[in-house]
Amino acid sequence: MGQRDIISYETSVRRKSGIRTAAKMCRLDVESAVKGHEQHVNIIPSSRYMVGRGVKRKLSECEDPTLDLPYPQQRQMVLDLCLNKLQSCQRRAEPSLHRSVLLANTLRQIQREMRQEGVLHSLESPPPAPSLPQALAAQRQSPEVAPTPSDRPDTPVATFSPSPLCEDDNAVSGCIGLHKRPWSEDDGKSPDLLLGSFEITNSTSYLTDLQLDDIFEDIDTSMYDPSDFSVLACPSPRVNSGSSLGSDDNLKAFSSSSALQVCLNDLDHIMEILVRS
Amino acid sequence: NTGNERQTERRRGGNRRKYPSSSPLSPPSSPPYDRVPAAVRGWIFPVTRIYLHFFILSPVHFSSISLYLSRFLPRSIRSAADIISTVEFNHTGELLATGDKGGRVVIFQREPECKTEPFSQGEYNVYSTFQSHEPEFDYLKSLEIEEKINKIRWLPQQNAAHFLLSTNDKTIKLWKVSERDKRPEGYNLKDEEGRMKDLSTVTSLQVPVLKPMDLMVEVSPRRVFANAHTYHVNSISVNSDHETYMSADDLRINLWHLGITDRSFNIVDIKPVNMEDLTEVITAAEFHPHHCNLFVYSSSKGTLRLCDMRESALCDKHSKLFEEPEDPSNRSFFSEIISSVSDVKFSHSGRYLLTRDYLTAKVWDLNMENKPLEIYQVHDYLRSKLCSLYENDCIFDKFECAWNGSDSVIMTGAYNNFFRMFDRNTKRDVTLEASRESSKPRAVLKPRRVCQGGKRRKDDISVDSLDFTKKILHTAWHPTENIIAIAATNNLYIFQDKLNQEMHG
Repeated sequence: MGQRDIISYETSVRRKSGIRTAAKMCRLDVESAVKGHEQHVNIIPSSRYMVGRGVKRKLSECEDPTLDLPYPQQRQMVLDLCLNKLQSCQRRAEPSLHRSVLLANTLRQIQREMRQEGVLHSLESPPPAPSLPQALAAQRQSPEVAPTPSDRPDTPVATFSPSPLCEDDNAVSGCIGLHKRPWSEDDGKSPDLLLGSFEITNSTSYLTDLQLDDIFEDIDTSMYDPSDFSVLACPSPRVNSGSSLGSDDNLKAFSSSSALQVCLNDLDHIMEILVRS
Repeated sequence: NTGNERQTERRRGGNRRKYPSSSPLSPPSSPPYDRVPAAVRGWIFPVTRIYLHFFILSPVHFSSISLYLSRFLPRSIRSAADIISTVEFNHTGELLATGDKGGRVVIFQREPECKTEPFSQGEYNVYSTFQSHEPEFDYLKSLEIEEKINKIRWLPQQNAAHFLLSTNDKTIKLWKVSERDKRPEGYNLKDEEGRMKDLSTVTSLQVPVLKPMDLMVEVSPRRVFANAHTYHVNSISVNSDHETYMSADDLRINLWHLGITDRSFNIVDIKPVNMEDLTEVITAAEFHPHHCNLFVYSSSKGTLRLCDMRESALCDKHSKLFEEPEDPSNRSFFSEIISSVSDVKFSHSGRYLLTRDYLTAKVWDLNMENKPLEIYQVHDYLRSKLCSLYENDCIFDKFECAWNGSDSVIMTGAYNNFFRMFDRNTKRDVTLEASRESSKPRAVLKPRRVCQGGKRRKDDISVDSLDFTKKILHTAWHPTENIIAIAATNNLYIFQDKLNQEMHG
């Protein structure tokens, strides 16, 4: 893991010590925000996300709004869509095995990729494990990263919140609800979840809504010392403004990590269903 | 003599089936009950849904092939059941069968040459329509079984009758299509309706005689091959030995004898012991056109496996594995999905394999396993749209592909009612559109262009305005001539080569 791979994490302001970081984030964010206003949505040259790997496909020519998102968010979205599709597959009388297998393989691939990245960036996390629950554990402790170009090490690229948000009341209820989601007929939550995971990427919104900090005061996040991370960070530029996405305040409590955990739990369930056939 | 009479009658029959088409969108006023005797009405359906509209288009030159629209066969009622799900020419090209989501099979017959109507030569008219599959319910699994026809395959013709296999997700049926223009009359022991007479009333000797009657096309079910597939049947293929055929579902391939319905042999089984380990399914399978021991099947991982049935009864070990190394520069979330092979076809020569995946068509040489011989981009402009196509499920569409008679041109479908042809020798390609609106009678069937940014020429269509609900999944090429059949949702288009027309006309 070279320095060029280091990613900035969005540490949601869940602790007082994080505020200093947040201030820095804020400053950088202003720049990107200004830039963002000038160039609107397409401010992010896709290369910023892609060059780090050098192997990802080009995204700049995509008119696809989803593809203007940073890589981790894209991945999160694909993951969410995968899960939704798998669930709708299961609801059919006789699901197409072909389709289910393709979706499950895509899920596995994304999961593998996330696990690798997680392991790379968190020494204390367990080694890669073959089963999903273990991967989940790894995921819980290891922040997600995305590649960043070597020439811009401090560029805000990826966002990730390492806090175990499930301990939060709101988040816990959210988690439970989400656990139920695959088995309930109500699909209303999935788009929210999707949006929720995007919502957190907009750091200024929670910086301005400082009362949100109170929510996190009780949470022991000492195990997630920001100094563990070589570069601390600022959030991604506002590709998705809060206004265009979900505005439920509770959703702001979701981090992409909690959403991810939930998704991976869902994946467990779905795989169980799949293999039972 | 009798042969001529028969021909005349058939032609008369053909004309009778032809409806006036002053307004192509209005259904025929009085659909003729097409000589359907009550006894066989269960199997012969009156042609109420299809009527014919005739277009002649000037040729568009594509290599040696110039096509004009010969037949446009729209369904007057637009319903999901009318969506055509398979198209297949028989071995001579005289007949063309289509299957639809409603479980119906419609057979078209090529009309014999007619001097008074110069353009009618080679026209395909409805020959017979029948209900092949009905919706069923599997009470054991509590599952509905769709009636949708997944595939039709013709058997090589061995006598006056034609035979075809049709399959839905679970059950394969063998159908006999035959003509009758005579019927026996004057039975001694049976009355007019076929009931036994009271024997005491039979006092004199009477020999039944064959009397001519209107030509009638009879379709009768001959065999039903059921209960052999746990998963969805995606392919059937008749062997070159003319005695056996195979049927493939997601995880298994079975070998059947055409005459035996109560047992089949499992020749491929990729079902893992633990279904948790399942990462690959069978997507298509086909027998070699000449070697009855060889067959190929494709997988959702983009690989092809050639198996030799002489090696072992269960072909778990392939003889050859055709696989292309993954290009890391094209890696994306959807690499897995778009590399899934949706169709595989042997060339007529048996030397090459044609496969279709989501974005490309590939030609493989049986003697080269490590990479395809040729790769053709069908709609590469969609590569940047994969996320949306994934979102709206189009990425799971299964496009089929076809060879021309001489294996020099390949054809496959795309979106927006476009279909693509690639000339393997000149490396030229063309995009054509199956559309009644854009193809005026006697006008040029223009090649279409999809523009991707940059300069946009007149009549170019931009990637953003492509209609992804209009997809051409099923196409077929006449076995010897340049006649193609294109299924565009619930319309069937038949295009013919103009040169071919002049040559024969």
